[in-house]
Amino acid sequence: MAEAPARPQLRSVWTAAEPILEVRGLTTWFPVRQGVLQRAVAHVHAVDGVDLSVRQGETLGLVGESGCGKTTLGRSILRLVEPTAGEVFFKGRDLLKLSGSELRRMRREVAIVFQDPYASLDPRQTVGEIVAEPLDIHGLAANRKQRHQRVQELLRVVGLNPGMAGRYPHEFSGGQRQRVGIARALAVDPTFIVCDEPVSALDVSIQAQIINLLQRLQKEFNLTYLFVAHDLSVVRHLCDRIAVMYLGRIVEIAGSNELHRRPKHPYTASLLSAIPIPDPKIERHRQRIILTGDVPSPVNPPSGCRFRTRCFKAQEKCAQEDPPLDTVQLGDHRAACFFPVE
Amino acid sequence: MIESNELAAPRAAPLEPAGGRAGRGFWQHSWEELRSNRLGIASAVLLALLIVVALTAPFFSQFVTHFGTTQQDLNNPFSAPSRTHWLGTDELGRDTVTRLAYGARISLGVGFLTVAISLTIGAMVGLFAGFYGGVLDDVLMRIVDVVLALPPVFLFILMSILFRPNAITLSVIIASLGWASLARLVRSEVLSLRSREFIVATRSLGARNGRLIFRHVLPNSLQLMIVAASLGLAQVVLIEAALDFLGLGIQPPTPSWGNMLSNAQEYFVHSVWLVIFPGLMIFLTVLAANLLGNALRDAFDPRLRHL
Repeated sequence: MAEAPARPQLRSVWTAAEPILEVRGLTTWFPVRQGVLQRAVAHVHAVDGVDLSVRQGETLGLVGESGCGKTTLGRSILRLVEPTAGEVFFKGRDLLKLSGSELRRMRREVAIVFQDPYASLDPRQTVGEIVAEPLDIHGLAANRKQRHQRVQELLRVVGLNPGMAGRYPHEFSGGQRQRVGIARALAVDPTFIVCDEPVSALDVSIQAQIINLLQRLQKEFNLTYLFVAHDLSVVRHLCDRIAVMYLGRIVEIAGSNELHRRPKHPYTASLLSAIPIPDPKIERHRQRIILTGDVPSPVNPPSGCRFRTRCFKAQEKCAQEDPPLDTVQLGDHRAACFFPVE
Repeated sequence: MIESNELAAPRAAPLEPAGGRAGRGFWQHSWEELRSNRLGIASAVLLALLIVVALTAPFFSQFVTHFGTTQQDLNNPFSAPSRTHWLGTDELGRDTVTRLAYGARISLGVGFLTVAISLTIGAMVGLFAGFYGGVLDDVLMRIVDVVLALPPVFLFILMSILFRPNAITLSVIIASLGWASLARLVRSEVLSLRSREFIVATRSLGARNGRLIFRHVLPNSLQLMIVAASLGLAQVVLIEAALDFLGLGIQPPTPSWGNMLSNAQEYFVHSVWLVIFPGLMIFLTVLAANLLGNALRDAFDPRLRHL
């Protein structure tokens, strides 16, 4: 693939050696409306200037606590939420500049798996209809027979009994429903899938199965994942690289093992220190970094570094200057901090 | 369906040996729920019976009662219920049973037609206003506000003067006001459906708005519309009877429950059955439609559902 000659695209040239997804300065603000006229009096800075690139075939983890904007970031990339500013290049084309019909065509290449497998399936449709819908939308099945076969095949691929196509979502368990969601995402043969906390709503035993399924599918279909999660251990197991998000910004990004071994940003360090160690002796002597205070309001983020209000290393400079993501740069490892850990 | 099934399952192998059967969907489930509601079923049967009577009124009059609607039995005016006139006769000796059967055509005909018209308009307005929001929503909802602010009685009087009242014009007149509250109801449901995750999921697949509205939002708000239709039927039957009673609706000699009541006012001291039977028909129809509406609401409500 890498040696293949560059195929001309509509607006620019993309080769497989370049990142499949390149996000630049992505910003999504939600207006806070007030009064009779519903004027926007302030904005929730859900995603505030995110730069990110995802390479073909890799899994990039996106972690952060609730409300840090990771889900909004995932949805802004797919334009399920309309971003305020920025650029999202997918295979060299800016998704944010696409018109309605161009965007709909692009949706064949980028799919999303949702967190809640109960809410993301239409309760009035059978599982077969749900999985067939993307085929109908993009005209991917020439006739009923082909459509039926494709649905059966997709259900089999995600480990469901194809005979259950006639049943409704409420007749399935959470894990099975998530498999249906994955089958639906796969139906269009995507190259890139945003996994929006696909296992957070599931039992721990089922989580492992879904993660294994996602890994197997990645190999089988050469998929690229953006994996949104708040569970660091899940992400470490699954991801090649991890990006840590705090209050609408990416504060650190590094290879999965590198990030776990040598976190640079104090926020990452504190997150990692919260992971329990499954050995009572070591666990008893584990050093924990306890953060004080709450996450500041994303309506009014702090000046300078956003983490400074809770940071144990914060100094005068942090309040005045906003550290860019390449403040610390060790090869692939980047962190937005003036006073990194160690 | 137990989770251990999944645990034991090998990769990519079917998770459950039993397969092929079709699932029990929402509608099937609701139907089973409704069937266990005796009052609801009784109401449905009563309404069905009234519909049969309305549809077969001409046969009924020819072969069962042997009287026409305007046929006079001049030997028996003000007859009390008897073997020839089951429910008696009026001042002109017209058979009450026959007239009630024909009256059912008017009441139910106007009822169903009005509900159909107002539900079609109301559902469309509600779907589009709720789904698209913004300026369209503002404009449509202000129109709804205006319609709801019109005083219905004056409007009905005005319309009845302008258009010669028959079953169809009456339906159009009542529906011209009735759609507004339905539009509001549907809109609020659509607003909550629009932000549901399965709508976002379908949009992420590249679905057009038309598909989202008619394949996902509409089927998921259908149960609300069915309940509203049933309750609306009761209201319309009452309104229609009231208009007939006031002389603004169906004109004599065409019999309707409302104008039969109106006609009976003068005689109710000595022929009370002339009042009782049309009144009872209206009462039973309205009661049955309301009870059926409530039963449907219970059958559809997932909170009462024991899955």
